[in-house]
Amino acid sequence: MTTIIAYREVSMRKLTLTAAAMATTALITVSPALANDDHKIVDDPLELTIHLHHVRSTAYDEDWPVEKVAREMTNIHLKNATVGSNSTNSAEAMNLLLATGKLPDIIGSARIKESVDQYGPQGAYVPLNDLIEEHAPHIKAFFDERPELMAAASSSDGNLYYIPYLPDGKYGRAFFIRYDWLDKLGLEVPNNVEELHAVLTAFKTQDPNGNGMADEVPYFARQWEELPRLVTLWGGRSSGSDTYHDFYVDEGKIKYPYMGEGYREGVKNLAQWYEEGLIDAEVFTRGSSAREYLLSENLGGMTHDWFASTSGYNDTLAEPIPGFEFKAFAPPENVNGDRIEEHRRIPVKPDGWAIGGTNKHPVETIKYFDFYFSPEGRRLVNFGVEGQTYNMVDGKPQFTEEFLTNGRPVNSQLYEIGAQLQARGYFQDYEYEKQWSNKYALEGIALYDEGDYLIDQFLGVAMNADEQKVFDKYFASARTYMLEKQQAWILGSSDVEAEWDDYMSQLDRMGMNEVLEVMQSAYDRQYGG
Amino acid sequence: MAMIDKESSAGTETIVPKLTMSQRLDRIQMHLRREWQIYLMLAPVIIWFLLFLYRPMYGLQIAFKDYSVFLGIDGSPWVGLEHFQTLFQSDQFLRALKNTLIISAMTLFIGFPMPIILALMFNEILNETFKRTAQTIVYLPHFISSVIIAGIIITAFSPSAGIVNTVLGWFGVDPIYFLTKPEWFRPIFIGSGIWQEAGFQSIVFLAAIAGVNPSLYESAVVDGANRWQMMWKITIPCILPTIIIMLIIRIGNLLEVSFEMIILLYQPATYQTADVINTYIYRQGLIGGQYDLAAAAGLFNAIVAFCLVMSANTIAKRVSKTSLW
Amino acid sequence: MKNMNLYSRGDKLFVYINMALIAVFAISALYPFIYITAMSLSSGFAARAGTVVLSPVDLTLAAYERVMSDPAFWNSYKNTFIYTFGGTFTSLLLVIPGAYALSRPNLWGRRFWNLMVAFTMWFHAGMIPFWLNIRDLGLLDSYFGIIIAFAVNAFNIILLRNFFESIPDSFQEAARMDGANEFQILWKVFVPLSKPAIATITLFCIVARWNGFFWAMVLLTDEGKIPLQVYLRHTISALSDDEEFSSTLLSAPYSVETVTAAIIVCSIIPVLLIYPWVQKYFNKGIMLGGVKE
Repeated sequence: MTTIIAYREVSMRKLTLTAAAMATTALITVSPALANDDHKIVDDPLELTIHLHHVRSTAYDEDWPVEKVAREMTNIHLKNATVGSNSTNSAEAMNLLLATGKLPDIIGSARIKESVDQYGPQGAYVPLNDLIEEHAPHIKAFFDERPELMAAASSSDGNLYYIPYLPDGKYGRAFFIRYDWLDKLGLEVPNNVEELHAVLTAFKTQDPNGNGMADEVPYFARQWEELPRLVTLWGGRSSGSDTYHDFYVDEGKIKYPYMGEGYREGVKNLAQWYEEGLIDAEVFTRGSSAREYLLSENLGGMTHDWFASTSGYNDTLAEPIPGFEFKAFAPPENVNGDRIEEHRRIPVKPDGWAIGGTNKHPVETIKYFDFYFSPEGRRLVNFGVEGQTYNMVDGKPQFTEEFLTNGRPVNSQLYEIGAQLQARGYFQDYEYEKQWSNKYALEGIALYDEGDYLIDQFLGVAMNADEQKVFDKYFASARTYMLEKQQAWILGSSDVEAEWDDYMSQLDRMGMNEVLEVMQSAYDRQYGG
Repeated sequence: MAMIDKESSAGTETIVPKLTMSQRLDRIQMHLRREWQIYLMLAPVIIWFLLFLYRPMYGLQIAFKDYSVFLGIDGSPWVGLEHFQTLFQSDQFLRALKNTLIISAMTLFIGFPMPIILALMFNEILNETFKRTAQTIVYLPHFISSVIIAGIIITAFSPSAGIVNTVLGWFGVDPIYFLTKPEWFRPIFIGSGIWQEAGFQSIVFLAAIAGVNPSLYESAVVDGANRWQMMWKITIPCILPTIIIMLIIRIGNLLEVSFEMIILLYQPATYQTADVINTYIYRQGLIGGQYDLAAAAGLFNAIVAFCLVMSANTIAKRVSKTSLW
Repeated sequence: MKNMNLYSRGDKLFVYINMALIAVFAISALYPFIYITAMSLSSGFAARAGTVVLSPVDLTLAAYERVMSDPAFWNSYKNTFIYTFGGTFTSLLLVIPGAYALSRPNLWGRRFWNLMVAFTMWFHAGMIPFWLNIRDLGLLDSYFGIIIAFAVNAFNIILLRNFFESIPDSFQEAARMDGANEFQILWKVFVPLSKPAIATITLFCIVARWNGFFWAMVLLTDEGKIPLQVYLRHTISALSDDEEFSSTLLSAPYSVETVTAAIIVCSIIPVLLIYPWVQKYFNKGIMLGGVKE
């Protein structure tokens, strides 16, 4: 009971470690009575057609081992009816499907949310609220515990039209720094903005790579958007979700990150840092090769990037660069004394599956969807087939040694057997990823978990037609303007202090207030503000 | 097939006195009996056009509809010119239009003559092996994807390691971060476009030059003309029809700027000179799945293009008797 | 024909400067190809880090091994050949007679037909209607569908028609005197005289077919029928997805970049070979030439 209350509060407050751990356990063992029930949905096999499109599985395959098990357990036989399966663009494939005028019984796709938001109210998809209430106890139990996720997945008419893919695991990006450089220069891990500035300056001027040249690049990033991310050090914001330049929620109010005082202060300082050479001079064009290049050439000092992939360099570069140690460190205290990690994984994705409007067996279908939220179904979709990819050890699924060490990426192996396909609606189990995570990544995650640096996320809103019209009219242009200014200020071609007032009144003229208004009304409707 | 009014025929029988219906039919019959073979040759192509390109064109109406893929083209409600208003309502659109026209015009003035010059230069090379090898090489960049070409350009203009800044450094110039400088975007974009495509585009002109009657050159030599004079007096006039046709088509593409390449090369810092209509619409987030708006943008493009081509075609016809139709 | 005695001394200077300029341009144009070849032979890490400039870094054939050991690669290669040759052949079959007819002054409605062809250069139906049309014609997911649906291109017709128009009437009149019909005139007079133009549009067809991917992606459902360019896109999307998730791939001998480069190199070789064949028709100082009189 306490966990449920804790979770309810989460929507506005930070998630504590204990609550998270307990809630996860609670979800796994939800209603033990159901855990061993018979999963047969129908007595005689029932065939349903499916369109399944996701970057790694652009068609449905009846022969996936996972599907064979699911078929056996539920007696539901899916038949492939995917349109556009050679396209790498799921949204395009789904539009072609809709254009044919004949929808299959189940539609599973990446980015299905846009489609259900638009065409759900027109009757293309079946609303699921009542079906879940009556026939899907596991899905219902999940959403009862996480009502904000149900709200986030709903469309503007208040109906839920798809069962989303729900990622597990909170941590995405973190601050990484060369610990070996710190040691070499006799410095401590920076604890606040001033210390960070001092450390980066030392990286620039004291030649930590020892080649006699000041060629070090103190802060770099693969995506230039990770540079404005640093405004969080001055109490600003750069985004409210895992998408760049997104809105954020501050005590129930929708705000735009590039309009705050903290942002102004942050940009002013970043411009200064850029000028001082503490930031990669080519940060805007270096692109995806930045991390590989600057780390392997022993030039890069600090970045803000994904735990999993960034940690891997400790193994890869151990040999070429003796002593190489590039590990996560806690976000430095910002000017207000807070430590903030702005980026986290989003708990609900716009991917998942829905029931086609002409489906003659909606009840059986929702029961089938529910199967994947049952403990057995969830294990099947997360870990694959017992005895093949994993075994139960102490009551928990554990991937086999062979599966983890055969040198092939775990994800692709799972896709190939039909597991972890995000065109299904299912609740991921972070444990699956943990079992093959790099040890440095796990260390870093433990560090971030301990300090509890994450902040709440904006989960998006579904606007109605009128709101959408206002939004479309103003937002993109205003955002373009803000990004142009942002780069100009950081590059030093104009001055943020001098231009700020003009900037704000220009945004006013460009309709940002109207945009925030419609976002707010959509938000209030959706999340019961 | 020949139901078209005779006024539009550029053929022989132009002035037709009043004819009775049966006389008309007779004439058509006679014409067909004599010329049926031409129509037989034309028919497959025309049928192909009708079947594959004209038949789906009813879809253009979605530019004026609130198109729902689910409700279908017929089932979607009309919205008049709303999509056009959505496209044109921001002053950033005007900026994008301006940039498009400037980039296109610059490409036209510099980029259009380049393949012609290149073809003429190839024509002056005597060594066959050198000529063939060089021709094959300059046509290669066309086959390398934009992503890779853009990568090469970004590296070449990089302030720390790029060849351009290295060379400038020899002359004591401080490194310039070219790709964040609005004033440098257009020269870099247009220059790289020419570099990538000139070789491939020169093929049409090489073919035209190959069609020039060699006896013309021979008699010119007898008259004591040098290579330069022969190029101006013989080669260029002979390939002029090809040049004109290519020019008209090029003018019709005035609003089309290589979208992919711009997306790969531009930055918010350079939007002010780099943002073109395609990229503007893309960034507005309007096009993803919104086929009605895309259709409106496409229609706008096509109508402008068509008007430009009509004028260019009329002028070309007057001046040189060469035309698209 | 064109030999040194056609050149004066002043011309020679002109010729050498010209050659030097072309050489410079050609060298710069060769660079992307060198770069991509070097990339395909480098280690995955070096390619990702962007340290490849002129020659392979940590030379390895891993990318080629990975590509060539995939049966889907060879299958898509085969498909590309089918689409390219089938498509080009069909195209010539339709375009040559069509362009000839459109160039005839005694064709009634000639202006209208030409306009109808040119119109399609700017006005397109849009993806969904086009796709529905192909579906209604029953041509989805078939080799024939891909071949026929893109067989004709307005630009190629106009180009060839324009060339046909520049052939002096005297040539065909002679043939007509001998009692040749239109087909014979086209085949015996126009086609031989237009070899450079036909070679050009053949090349354009081949290139378009070789590089085309969008419609193959949308119109084909069967993965066994996809061409090389679609295979390339599938491979890129799968590999980059893998790399995003797995740090074990960090030290793999190949990467998205090297595999992409290897596929591009494999796909360029045939177009490299086709060009010299086209050149044959450019450099012969063609026949008696289509000179405007």
